[in-house]
Amino acid sequence: MTDLFTVAGKELLDLRRDRLFVILISFLAVVIFISVAVGAADFRSQLEAYNRYVADLTASGTGVAPAAPQLFPLQLLRGGIEYLEIIGALFAIVLGYGTIAKEKHRGTLQLFLTRPVNRFAFAGGKVAGLSLVWLVVVVILTAVSIGAVVTIGGGTVTATDLARVAITAGFVWFYLVFWTALAVGLTSLSGRLSSALIVALVIWLAFVLVIPQIGDTMDPDNQVPGGLFAALQIQKTDELAVLAQFAGFDGIRNGLEVSSITKHFERLSFALLGIKDAYNQQPIPVVLAAMLPYAITLTAATIASVIFATAATTRRTLQRTQS
Amino acid sequence: MNVFLASAGHEMLSVRRARISHLLLAVFVGMVSVSSIIGWITNATVTSVYEQILAAGLTTAPNPFTSVPALYYARNAVIYVVLIGSLMAIVLGVQATIRDRKAGTTSLILSRPVGTIARLAGQLAGLGAVIAAVLAVSMAISWAAISIIVGEALGPDPTIRLIGFVGCAWTLLMVFASVGMLAGIFSKRESTALLVPFVVWSGLAFVLPQLGTAARPVALLNPVPITVATGGYFDLVAAITAPLAITEQFKRAASILLQDVNVPGSPIGSIAILIAFLLVAVTVVVFVPRQKLRGALND
Repeated sequence: MTDLFTVAGKELLDLRRDRLFVILISFLAVVIFISVAVGAADFRSQLEAYNRYVADLTASGTGVAPAAPQLFPLQLLRGGIEYLEIIGALFAIVLGYGTIAKEKHRGTLQLFLTRPVNRFAFAGGKVAGLSLVWLVVVVILTAVSIGAVVTIGGGTVTATDLARVAITAGFVWFYLVFWTALAVGLTSLSGRLSSALIVALVIWLAFVLVIPQIGDTMDPDNQVPGGLFAALQIQKTDELAVLAQFAGFDGIRNGLEVSSITKHFERLSFALLGIKDAYNQQPIPVVLAAMLPYAITLTAATIASVIFATAATTRRTLQRTQS
Repeated sequence: MNVFLASAGHEMLSVRRARISHLLLAVFVGMVSVSSIIGWITNATVTSVYEQILAAGLTTAPNPFTSVPALYYARNAVIYVVLIGSLMAIVLGVQATIRDRKAGTTSLILSRPVGTIARLAGQLAGLGAVIAAVLAVSMAISWAAISIIVGEALGPDPTIRLIGFVGCAWTLLMVFASVGMLAGIFSKRESTALLVPFVVWSGLAFVLPQLGTAARPVALLNPVPITVATGGYFDLVAAITAPLAITEQFKRAASILLQDVNVPGSPIGSIAILIAFLLVAVTVVVFVPRQKLRGALND
């Protein structure tokens, strides 16, 4: 156990000194902040358009004004969640790759393996250290997100909102640990380091970008700007009734989407933050009950990824021929 | 054989020998090839959805998918060029310049009377030939798939448009290949060399368009044009960011060439921006100082 803590401690020290890591996390924080700022500007723009419309209606003395757009502060985090889905996963892969690659390149791995260390000390220490790093990063990004919503977003965050954000942050942490552990396992298994990184990037490309994109473009409602059903002025109940007759197609489309861990994370976080209209302002236990399958799969995938990293990182795999 | 041709030939040979490059090339060709089929299945289903709505008397609006042009089925390919193609080009570009640094052959090559401009331009030309070949194969498959879907061989106009689309895609991918080459030259570590262009790509593909339009990152992966936010702030920022967002410029030019009815206008401006980016990127690559090519690699 001491060996494991030593490896984890060394990992934390290395990353604290790594300028690239600091730059990456700063980049992530900046894009999350920007997405909240842009979301807030968009809302203000909608509100101004609404006010102009109401003023015109009042001046002409005709019509009934529609409901004013309402700001739900946590919905401003949508862009930030999407950045974590895409760029966060990419950085997690690079971090996981780097932790094994640096030991192979510096020759410290051979030295380490001459010591009588426990079978799981190296992999366990690496994954534990990186998980702790991601926990700190997620706490920082959560603080940045809430700060952005309150300041530049002009929103008021309640205790319930904070609880929603905290639960979502926990799943963000799972998601990032999943990708880091996967990269650790792949890098350990591969004799050629650049191949390991490229394979990890291809997996990222397929599961984070391509598969969800295919599912998204197959959605009948995504075929015209603004949505097909809105363009045809179809009510939600009628839309559901029509789509029920295309259950086979929708099953394939949904099946594609849920084959990606990213989509599980997205659906879960969108529901918790009320970004998905059906769950907006719903009590947390109701949302969690509805999202339980996604919470279970995300958690299970993270555990499986950690087990994969630990099992794949053995003396034999680590000592394979390197480039 | 002169330096330019030797470098170009060697680059093509290296790509052919690198198995990991084949993985990316295969993913790209495969996805662009099946994009027509995905488009066809989706269009057939959505038309059925519309007919159900019409039969139920829920709308009187015309079918938005009546008489879609044949090239409608190629629109998903636009997104795959931005997603898979760009990342493929980055990896090829990084590998082109970092390969010699890893093998330690850079100093050996530069000890000979080799001009760096001819050397780097030759490598870039080799990459250009590989990317052109991959795009040509993908589009030939797409052309055949669309011809089967519409029940007749595509005529001269759609074929020329498809070739124009390939030209735009090649220009975009060569920009990213150049960025990859630069990262391969200047980075001290291979992981940084791969990561930095990926960050540049994510900035160009997601952050810049979002600043001027309020488009969410995931929405930018849909071939259907986004609903753009307008107003004081957005108009001002979009004027600055739009010309720099080259992936969006490519999507616009490609959509117009592929006759997407939702994207009106001329593609000339967007194509000019793509070419300008390519010229700048190529110039920066070929004029990299000789001593920079000798930079040591830390891993």
